[in-house]
Parts: sequence; C-alpha cells; structure tokens
Amino acid sequence: MNTEFSKPQRQSAIGIIIMAANTMFQLIKALIVPLIISLSKVNKGDLFYFFLAFLALLILVIIFAYLNYRRFTFHLNEEKQEFVVNKGIFSRTQLTIQLEKIQQVNINQNLLQKIIGIYGLKIDTAGSDGQEVSIQAIDENIAHSLREHLLDRKDNHHQNEETISNIENTTTIPFLKVSPLTLFKVGLTSNYGSSIALLIAFIYPLFHNVKEILNALKMDEGQVEHAVENIFTFFSLTILLGIILAIILVINVVRTFVKYFDFHISKHKHSLLISAGLFAKKNTLLSPDKVQTTTYSQNYFQKKMNLLNMNLKQAASGHATNGKEIHSTNLEIPGCSIAEKDELLMMILGKNPPKTAIFKPNFRFLNLPIFFRVILPIAIFFIFWTNTPEMKSFYPLAIVYFLLAIPMIYISYRRHRLMVDQDFIIKKSGIWDIKHEIMLPHKIQAITTFQYPWHKNVDVGHVNLHTAAGIIHFKYGNYTEIKQLVNYWLYQIESGSKEWM
Amino acid sequence: MQDFTNETIDINLLPKYELVTLSKPHPNYWKIIVINILIFLLFIGAVLTVMLFNIPELKTYLYIIIAGYAVLAIFLFFIFKASFKRRGFAMREKDLIYKSGIIAETTTIVPLNRIQHVALNEGIFSRIFKLGKIQIYTAGGQSGHLMIAGVEIETAKSMKELLLKKLGEMDNLTENQS
Repeated sequence: MNTEFSKPQRQSAIGIIIMAANTMFQLIKALIVPLIISLSKVNKGDLFYFFLAFLALLILVIIFAYLNYRRFTFHLNEEKQEFVVNKGIFSRTQLTIQLEKIQQVNINQNLLQKIIGIYGLKIDTAGSDGQEVSIQAIDENIAHSLREHLLDRKDNHHQNEETISNIENTTTIPFLKVSPLTLFKVGLTSNYGSSIALLIAFIYPLFHNVKEILNALKMDEGQVEHAVENIFTFFSLTILLGIILAIILVINVVRTFVKYFDFHISKHKHSLLISAGLFAKKNTLLSPDKVQTTTYSQNYFQKKMNLLNMNLKQAASGHATNGKEIHSTNLEIPGCSIAEKDELLMMILGKNPPKTAIFKPNFRFLNLPIFFRVILPIAIFFIFWTNTPEMKSFYPLAIVYFLLAIPMIYISYRRHRLMVDQDFIIKKSGIWDIKHEIMLPHKIQAITTFQYPWHKNVDVGHVNLHTAAGIIHFKYGNYTEIKQLVNYWLYQIESGSKEWM
Repeated sequence: MQDFTNETIDINLLPKYELVTLSKPHPNYWKIIVINILIFLLFIGAVLTVMLFNIPELKTYLYIIIAGYAVLAIFLFFIFKASFKRRGFAMREKDLIYKSGIIAETTTIVPLNRIQHVALNEGIFSRIFKLGKIQIYTAGGQSGHLMIAGVEIETAKSMKELLLKKLGEMDNLTENQS
C-alpha cells in the first residue's frame, strides 16, 4: 500500500469510468428534451445514424476522461506543508493548498463508485478564495491514509500530540447512532419546507416537459391542461390536499432515509467523524473548535417523541477578501435524544449551557409584523373585496388568516429570547420549530447595534452578532441592557486570546 | 501561571463603547455626496426628458412629474444630510467603532483581532478632495464588513498602516503561542 504521497500520483485507473459516466450523465441531463423530440421525429431508417452519433459521442467522452485521468496528479509537498493538484487537458491548472488551511476532508461514495468499489475525496479549505479540491476516484485505504496525512500533519505542526500511530486502524465506537425507527419519525416530523420545494421543483418541469414533447408531436390541443382540470374536478379539493400531504410525507421519509441512513458519529482523536447515507456514503471529519454556531430545534410532535434536530455550522472559507462572501457549511444531525444532544454539546462546547439570565424583547416587537403581515394584507384584500364581485365568497379565508396570523406572531414574540452567560450566548426563536442557537462569545466577528429614532425615549434597540456562520439577531430588547452586554462581549473577545477557528 | 488572575468583573466598570467620542467625516465628504446625488438626479432627469419627448401621452402629467422629481431631490438631500450628520468613527486600542444610518442609528464594532483584511479605496471625486475610504473585512460576511468613507487621505493611510501593524503583531502572538 502506498501511503507516501510525496511523489505525484494519479487516481485509480478505474476512475476513468466514473469521469466518463459523470460527463455522459451531465450531457444526457442537459439534452434530454431535445433528444426525445428529435427521436420521435426521425424515420426508422435514420435511427442507425442516431445510434452512430451516440456511439461517437461516447467514445469522445471516454477519450476525454482518459486524458483527464492522465493529466490529473496530486501529491504532498512535505517541506512547504502543501497539497498540490495538477489538472487540465488543454490549459494546465495547479492547485496548491496549504495544509493548515484545510477545514474538512470528506470521503464520499456515490452509487456508481460503490459498484466499482472506489471512493471520492473532497477537501474543503479556508483559503482566501474558498477553493475546493475533489478527487473522484481512489482506493479506500489510499483515501483514508491521505485523509490522515492531510489532517494529522496539521495537528503535528500545531501542537505536539501523542503518537499518531495508534489512530491508523482503531475501530472507534460510535457514541451517537440514529436508528431507522428514529429516522422514520424524523422524516414524518421535519423539513416539510424543502420537501414541498422539491415536489414543486419536480412537478413543474415534468408538466412543462410533457407539454413540450406533446407540442413537438403536434398532439397537444390543450390535453395537458384539460387532463389536469379533469383531475381537479374528479377529486374534490380536500382529497387532493390529503394526497399531496401524503406524497410530501412519503418524500420526506424517503429523503431522510437516503440522506441519513446509518447515521453515526464517533470520536476520532480531537475530531468528530460523522458518516451517513444509503446510496452515497458520506464521511465527514470535523474538529469541534471550528464549529461556529450549534443549533438544536424541536417542534411539538418531536417533543412528544423526545427527538431533536441538531445543526452544526462551520465557516467553510474563513478569509473574506474583497467582499467575497463566505459560505458556511451545515452539518445536520437528524433525530437525537436530549441525552445525546447534551453529550454532543459537551463534545463541541466543552460544557453544557446552564440556565442563565434571560433577556426578553419589548412588546413593540409585535408592531411591525402585525402591520405588515396582518393589517396590510387584509386591507388589500378588503379593497379587492369591495371592488370585485368574484372575491365576495372568499371572505372566510381572510378571517381564517387573521385568526391564524395573530397567535403565530404572538408566539414568535413569546419565543424570542436571548440567554447570556459567562461562556455562552443562546438565542431562542421560532413559531412551530423552536430553535436554540448556541454560540461562544469568542466566535463573534463583529457586533452591530441599532435603534430607530422613535424608540429612543422608550429605550428599545436591536443587536446583531455577526459570526462566520451567519448572524444572530436579537430584536426590541432593552437598549441599556444591550449596550451593557455588548461592552461585556467586547471585553471577552478583546481580552481573550482564543482563536475563533 | 503566576500572572494568572481571575477577578470578578463589574460590568459597569467596563469601557463603554457608546460613550466614545467619534471623529466626524471630513466636511468635504458632504461635497462628494452632493456630487453623487446630482449625478443620480441628472441621470433620472435625462431618462424622464427622453420619455417625455417620445411619449406624447405623458405631456398631460408634466407638472406631476416635475413635482415628483423635485420631491425626490429634496427627499434625497434631506436623508443624506441626516445620515451624514450621524456618521462617525473611532479607533480604540482594541476595536474600531463606526456609527452610521439613514433612519436607524447603527453602530458597528469590529474587534481588531477579528479583522481579516484592510483596504484603502480612493474614488475619482474622493481623490479631488483628498479623501479615502477605509474598508475593513471580517469573516462575518457582507454585513460584518466596515466601510469608513470620507476620511482624509493622510489619516486614512496612517490608520491603515496602524491596523496592518496591529494585525501583524497579533499574528506573531498566536504563532508564538502554538
């Protein structure tokens, strides 16, 4: 086994297949509609040429994949502590990554890679332009030893650790495992929003494409619309809603399973090793110091089932130059119990956040949302209602909206809390999903306080805490208290020498 | 470990950011703002004139358009004057404070040990009036950056030098620790 990476080396030869397949897949995906249209229009005799063209394309793609494979090399420069990748067929690119800038090394495996038996490796950096390196095809042991090299080198460099030899093949016991049953529960209770978006994203192009194909075949005389209309009249609206709801739930459960199957976290020296996935296995190694904010959330159903969602946010590229935005990477932990949550918080934060001083917003918190989300829409509706006769029968909807929106705004006000302690800042918020964002004061990058002139007399103001993984807002607080807190946080940041990553 | 102390902190005795006296932007910066507003108004005015000549139906609304234009101009001057008066910045030993805001009064504080990158920007008009804009970047994203405009170029340059020097010192400090 080759564990020395000082000499430039290539990927696994079998990786040509992966690269060719990827390109082919991209091509087919991009050309699917015109392909089907032209296929349906050609004569039987021309099909042969069609096939020939396809074959030529395939050969071309394979040649390109081969050249790519030949030209793609990577190696470690021990002296300079750099990882170097050379690639490109016509224009050669050399990517150099300083080892100390490496944030995460992920070892992934998608379905095709699983069949062939190779792995992909991706390096996330904290470089000034957030460059990423991905190696598409390497052996399992090369992948793992490369990861050890990339990450351990850094540890050695920074602090003299105990020997590294023993981590090579230690089988770590996962301290957090998510069982299929839990996944099922999680799928039923969370992430509705993204599933709905997925459903729409899926249905719209389907509808669009079917129409386009039918159009091309000169078959469409409003059949699609007609069919859709028929479906609508056939089922009453409520049944349809029920079906949609069921579809969303099924998608949710399937999605959760695909993404998080066999999810487990284990301790790996100073880092956490997180792996999950049904078809594509994803391994992520993360070091707790680099987590910027830790969030856990829970809704009513999840509370009944003793389930929590957790989310660890990291700064993917820490150095923002010339206004370039930093992408934060999210690590989602689906479904853990309260005990597991506490254990994980212990790992990341060093201790568990205690119950502390709670800051509440002023009742003026309610004003703007009530105006913009309730009074304004209802006023607009009222104008329509008085002017257009078609709207007359829809007034119950406005009443329902009013009755729903007011309590929701009130709940969001009740949940909006900031909890501050010597070592922690915790922001609680949410209407349905109650979210706790936990942050350590030394992760703050900048603080903004602001106040509207008409709030000066009542001493109400707002504060934003900017971190490398997003902003934490606290609105409509007591401005005197906020200023005091800001002074305290500034003292903590400026007197301490803790690095934020 | 001998110089380790852990005294209780009286929050009320901590230095107060809100009481720091801020230095105002240079008065010439107001001229730059006025030039910028005038350019904007000229552009809008040109678009409106072209439209008026080409669409005859608009002629009937001529006075409304002129009134609207005048209101926009007055409004812009008023708003920018207010925001200009609010602006101010201060550099403390360990952080930078910048106050601004059009309606709300916003104060942003960036601790020096969280600065990623410092840049100095001179626009065309700024160069005429010998002013500069100090740009301070943090890892806190777009909203966490500080842009201090209307600083005299000499002051701006020395501020940038000072910040860079402090950044260098802090880098050395952390390197020595590890």
